Amino acid sequence: MKKKRRSGFIIACTAPAIILFVLFMIVPTIDVFRMSMYKWGGYTAEKTFVGFENFKKLARNPKFYQAFQNSILLIVIVTLVTFCLSLVFASILSREKIKGQNFFRIVFYIPNILSVVVISAIFSAIYDPNQGLLNSFLKLFRGGKDPILWLGSPKLVVYSVAIAMVWQAVGYYMVMYMASMANVPDSLYESASLEGAGRISQFFSITLPLVWTNIRTTLTFFIISTINMSFLMVKAMTSGGPDGASHVFLSYMYQEAYTNSSYGYGMAIGVTVFVFSFALAGILNAVTKRDEIEF
Amino acid sequence: MKMKKVLCILLAAVMVLGTAACGKGESNDNAQNAPAEDTSAAENEDAAPDAGESEDAGDSEVQESAGATGTLKVAAVETAYGADMWTEVCAAFEQSHEGVTIELTVDKKLEDVITPEMKSGVYPDVILRAVGAESGLTETFVKDSNLVELTDVLAMTVPGESVTVGDKILPGFVENSICNPYGDGKTYLMPMFYGPCGLFFDQGLFTAKGWTVPETWDEMWELGDKAKEEGIALFTYPTAGYFDAFFYALLHESMGNDKFQEALRYGEGIWDTPEAQAVFDIIEKLASYTESTTPANANDNDFQKNQQLILDDKALFMPNGNWVIGEMAEAPRAEGFEWGFTALPAVTAGGERASYSFFEQVWMPAGAENQDLGKEFIAFLYSDVAAEIFAKSGAVQPIQGMTDKLDGDNKLYYSIYDNGAVAVMDAFAATEAVEGITTRATFFDPVNSLVTGDKTKEDWVNQIKADSDALRAALKE
Repeated sequence: MKKKRRSGFIIACTAPAIILFVLFMIVPTIDVFRMSMYKWGGYTAEKTFVGFENFKKLARNPKFYQAFQNSILLIVIVTLVTFCLSLVFASILSREKIKGQNFFRIVFYIPNILSVVVISAIFSAIYDPNQGLLNSFLKLFRGGKDPILWLGSPKLVVYSVAIAMVWQAVGYYMVMYMASMANVPDSLYESASLEGAGRISQFFSITLPLVWTNIRTTLTFFIISTINMSFLMVKAMTSGGPDGASHVFLSYMYQEAYTNSSYGYGMAIGVTVFVFSFALAGILNAVTKRDEIEF
Repeated sequence: MKMKKVLCILLAAVMVLGTAACGKGESNDNAQNAPAEDTSAAENEDAAPDAGESEDAGDSEVQESAGATGTLKVAAVETAYGADMWTEVCAAFEQSHEGVTIELTVDKKLEDVITPEMKSGVYPDVILRAVGAESGLTETFVKDSNLVELTDVLAMTVPGESVTVGDKILPGFVENSICNPYGDGKTYLMPMFYGPCGLFFDQGLFTAKGWTVPETWDEMWELGDKAKEEGIALFTYPTAGYFDAFFYALLHESMGNDKFQEALRYGEGIWDTPEAQAVFDIIEKLASYTESTTPANANDNDFQKNQQLILDDKALFMPNGNWVIGEMAEAPRAEGFEWGFTALPAVTAGGERASYSFFEQVWMPAGAENQDLGKEFIAFLYSDVAAEIFAKSGAVQPIQGMTDKLDGDNKLYYSIYDNGAVAVMDAFAATEAVEGITTRATFFDPVNSLVTGDKTKEDWVNQIKADSDALRAALKE
């Protein structure tokens, strides 16, 4: 009897959250899957059921593959570079005694609180082919050759977007890593240095294993936020150009769902992105699984 | 302890009730909307011919009294002309039509404001939004055949005047593939503010250098070589999207109207004709004369840097519309700078010179509830009263006698057609939505790659041919 009352109590307490979750997360997600089977412009009452036709068309579309490639490239580059930089910065700022630690912490974090529009304005000034910071600097080495079109060359544009994204993300992950590094007891480092371990081996043998759980979490964050942020960045910086060379998953989905009045097709892209990011996060999680080390 | 438990349960119950109420409210709304949508759709079909009949009677007073009460929902996009003119026009309409209230929505991002309501089945009665916007709002309604036919509005008498709307609108503005998207002679979109598009340049520079504005493309290339020696590029463009007006006008020059119309319907083999090839050749050559950094700034964020090239005398010509003057009003400029504007050079000596006329459209979604009143409102937009209010903000409608009232710079642009340029107003024919293919990505965006050398003309033309086949198959009949 008591047990029954207890579980009733638990159900009553969790119900609101579950209802909200189902209503605002599960239902819309199922809806996306359902919509991807229709040909629909977005505004009419009539939708035509087309089964997997949208996915078949998607599989034949070279522009989608280009957007897919760009997204994967961004996920890989941005994750790798941001991960390394923020880990290094975090360990320097939390382990070393340097002047103006707080100053650096703030400076690194600021890009994260800037709006994407501001970031894109900053980078469009940096990348400007004629008066931009980057080309003016490179002029010292290259001389008066034709300026490099950072946002104008289909081959370079994705890398240019990647640099802006790394700059934006480093501070955020740095703070996350610093938080978990602060939990590592100093005694471990002390005994390690007594035994003759240098800074670098301390980093690899103590810091890294002890913040591993945190790193695994951030890897999932990297995937999700790169997919989302790359849309905002591309939208603000290049509008998918030049000639569609910088389209990523979501900017291409936006173009198809709205500009091209193919809402159902857009949702098919959404489903692909959903499955892809889920699978990728799952794989990363499995690959990075280690026995948890406690201190 | 027990007290605490009871409190917890109570709180949880409140939350559950809250969510349940939320959910219920939503489903209620839906339930109400669903039938409303159905009936309005059914009404449309009946209402359209009815309205037509009553207008055939030609008695505007009868109409006024017939549809003269109620609330009309008007949604207009705020462009460079500002929002005030809409408020004024709506007030003028309310004044002349007693018992009518207008719910006006004016916003720069109109779609974001009205889309949520439209998704739940509540539509504005009258919408002003041009084709060609990134959101594709108007195109989506066209592709879905989700519009109210407005042919009968042309026969309506302009409220308070004695002419019909059709007679008042300048010839050509209604008889084109934008206003008659399905090519069946029926009008679904009405032309509103227009502006000639062509090539903009610095008149001051031409005077100082003693250059003449080229009248043929051959003269253009000669000028390009001359300018190159002085370190000035011949051409730049704000974004590749601006090639739409340019492409249509050039196509019209090269092909003449009949073949042009065929091209707009993606006619089979049309892109292999020598006339079409001439157009591709000109654009390819133009790409080689284009200022080399143009593609880097050819996006919605930086396009003004390309426009600045004209103001700084670093490039001679750019395709644009007359809104560029307002857009660049605050920008620094070379000494002696003076805006110049010309139609496209002719493909052959003595041949046609064309200028594309960009215009915005006003239309009614099929879900509009007050269709008669909405049509009355659209007719009113062509009245002298409304035209004057719009003109005060610089918005010019294609109405008889309107260009005579213009002064200053505006006169220069709008008189381009008086000086022998042919006005081109059509656009590619409406199709069912073809997934993965947009006209912009197929026809215009590759110009960026032509300039950077990442694509050849052949790549571009092959893509156009392949995509045209797909679009032709999806044409609305």
